[in-house]
Amino acid sequence: MSENNKYILVGIDGSAISNALVDYAIWLAKSNGLTIKLIHTIEHSHHTENPHHEGNLTPNIRRELLKELSEEERVESKALIAQGKELINAAKEKVLAAGIDNVVAKLRHGTLPEAIEDLKAETQLIMLGSKGISHQDEELGLGFHLEESIRATETPVFIAQKDFSDPKKVLFAYNGSPTAKRALAMITQDTIYKEPLEIHIVSVNNDSKLAQQLVTEAQAAFTDSSNTIITKTLSGDTIEQLTQYQKENQIDITAMGAFSHGKVHGFFFGSFTTKMIQQSDTNFLLIR
Amino acid sequence: MLFSPKNDWFGNIKGDVLAGIVVALALIPEAIAFSVIAGVDPKVGLYASFAIAVMIAFVGGRAGMISAATAATALLMVTLVKDHGLQYLLAATVLAGILQILAGYLNLHKFMSFVSKSVMTGFLNALAILIFMAQLPELTNVSWQVYALVALGLGIIYLFPYVPYIGKIMPSPLVNIITITLIVFFFGNDSMGIRTISDMGELPDTLPIFLWPDVPFNIETLKLIMPYSISIAIVGLLESLMTANVIDELTDTSSDKKRECKGQGLANIGSGLIGGMAGCAMIGQSIINVKSGGRGRLSTLVAGVFLLILVVFLSDILKIVPMAALVAVMIMVSIGTFSWTSIKELKTNPKSASIVMIATVIVVVWTHNLAFGVFTGILIGSLFLAQRLSQFMFVKSEYDEASDTRTYHVVGQIFFNSSDKFIGYFDFKEAVENIIINVKRSHFYDVTSVAALDKVVIKLRREGADVKIVGLNSASQTMLDKFAVHDDPEEIEKFMSGH
Repeated sequence: MSENNKYILVGIDGSAISNALVDYAIWLAKSNGLTIKLIHTIEHSHHTENPHHEGNLTPNIRRELLKELSEEERVESKALIAQGKELINAAKEKVLAAGIDNVVAKLRHGTLPEAIEDLKAETQLIMLGSKGISHQDEELGLGFHLEESIRATETPVFIAQKDFSDPKKVLFAYNGSPTAKRALAMITQDTIYKEPLEIHIVSVNNDSKLAQQLVTEAQAAFTDSSNTIITKTLSGDTIEQLTQYQKENQIDITAMGAFSHGKVHGFFFGSFTTKMIQQSDTNFLLIR
Repeated sequence: MLFSPKNDWFGNIKGDVLAGIVVALALIPEAIAFSVIAGVDPKVGLYASFAIAVMIAFVGGRAGMISAATAATALLMVTLVKDHGLQYLLAATVLAGILQILAGYLNLHKFMSFVSKSVMTGFLNALAILIFMAQLPELTNVSWQVYALVALGLGIIYLFPYVPYIGKIMPSPLVNIITITLIVFFFGNDSMGIRTISDMGELPDTLPIFLWPDVPFNIETLKLIMPYSISIAIVGLLESLMTANVIDELTDTSSDKKRECKGQGLANIGSGLIGGMAGCAMIGQSIINVKSGGRGRLSTLVAGVFLLILVVFLSDILKIVPMAALVAVMIMVSIGTFSWTSIKELKTNPKSASIVMIATVIVVVWTHNLAFGVFTGILIGSLFLAQRLSQFMFVKSEYDEASDTRTYHVVGQIFFNSSDKFIGYFDFKEAVENIIINVKRSHFYDVTSVAALDKVVIKLRREGADVKIVGLNSASQTMLDKFAVHDDPEEIEKFMSGH
């Protein structure tokens, strides 16, 4: 499969951010020419709304119960599919209206991380909203499946977090770690977005010499001169400094390496990536 | 293996808690009844059910499946308990657990694919019959009042759910137990000969404590308990994996069979160390759990914990529960486990399937060991399959006068069972100059089939013919055990179509 047959995989769940997410997908697809693949996952609850507490076993109970439960889930699935179709078709119409013909819309059974895992061979970029439909009213909530989805793949993930406005300024947080190096390689390839941008390379490190060294190293990797490159070194708490810089410079997208630690580390110390997304207002481009 | 997705635990809290309580209520009579089968005090089965349910909630591979003391494993312990006592049973339980963990690491769960649907039906029917038969001692040589109580109990179990409103929220087996107990308490007297749970042995009055089985640790002990442990380990895994399949199907979700094997092992070790007997997953209870809305690990945990609380604090009340009420519950379990449609299907299913099912049942009921029945079923099923495959083999031939050549075309599967048939197709009396055997569209599966081909060639050569074999390379690829076409659909296609 050549690179050009790959998709931008856009997860649509009907939450408030889904709408903006489609706009960002259009913005990127116009630049990189990739096909937009809109997916919506049908998540079965696998619970019954209609439990029996009689506690007895009647003859042929297995058969009867199977019949009853499958009928219940069939009805549930039908409703979810109808709902999903509506969502995804609306998104597709929007993409078509923007003048992009390379768009497919698909419904899949299962969870979003499962879908991402299954489709990763044909995916070049994943785009998700930061808050799923069940969290959209919470201040700090992150989409239930977001972390799991990002961990399911090595494909870069774009996370939409604010309403759409044509992005101009990108903050690239660079700390020289292996994931950060991979992120740098990915961004400098220009496969995701080809038009010129204002890129702020920022390194937060209490050792100012090292920080300077890092930003210089990163800057050297940007060979395409059409971008405007700004470098900055900061010291102090990483998350605090970066979020402050985002605000001061009206950053649209924060790009960084993500989830370099394992799940267990995240369980005990909390994940840097998750905290960073929660405390920022910008969109994100995460590279594993 | 302690890590489970959060959703497995807290995805369905209300449903799981309610279902767990319903299950706990149904588990108590079963645990007591199975202790009676094994010939131990009721507390052994109750402690076992608590330990197994609680541990499997954490380490099991199938969320929402209920494991506890079971009839299938209890039946295997009878002679051990009778001849050597409880402590040897506890040691055998721990050893069975160790064997099950080993089975998990050795991926033995994959052998479940040999258990056909007919064997599984036979297993369940046999289990139902055994559970029913285990109730017979309570039903023979007893007064008419006992029969009346059992009949009343069954009536309550099946009819109470039709009572408006409360019928749907009160578990009917519990209503049966309460009603029968009250009747006997107020109207019963000694002359009726109504036995109660206290006649069966000790009930738990404290929380279980950790105890190392009090047996000599030597090779004699190991030799003594090993056969029992092996049987328990195999039967326990068979029932657990079958139950996991049933729950997978009912809930349309998947389970981790390897983890389930190891989990069953850990649970049994835990049970043995707190004075409980070996157990496994329970088909009936797991179905009750699903029916009551239980889906997650929490349901299993609640069932185990609630069971212990009830038993420890209500042991004085439990003592006066008449056995008749438990017998009614066990007859219900038996009726629910039996596959009644399988009787109707005897007429419509292929004869071979029916024979496998019935053979499984007969061997189990005869030996009281479900493993023997399953092995018999698998064996007979495989023989039928071999027979069937042999039918897909024939040899046709043509004769070319000009060159005085007879060409045999071999088509189909040649292995130990079809080798004689294969030889029978050749006409050794015909005197021809040249013989070509084209085996391109056949598969030689084993040493027997290759020997048969050798035999044919040698015999024909003796009769003076020049024999040539065509296409042997591809035909005998099947001989290699490691031949791995299964990875490549295209290769399989080529292979099965005769290259």
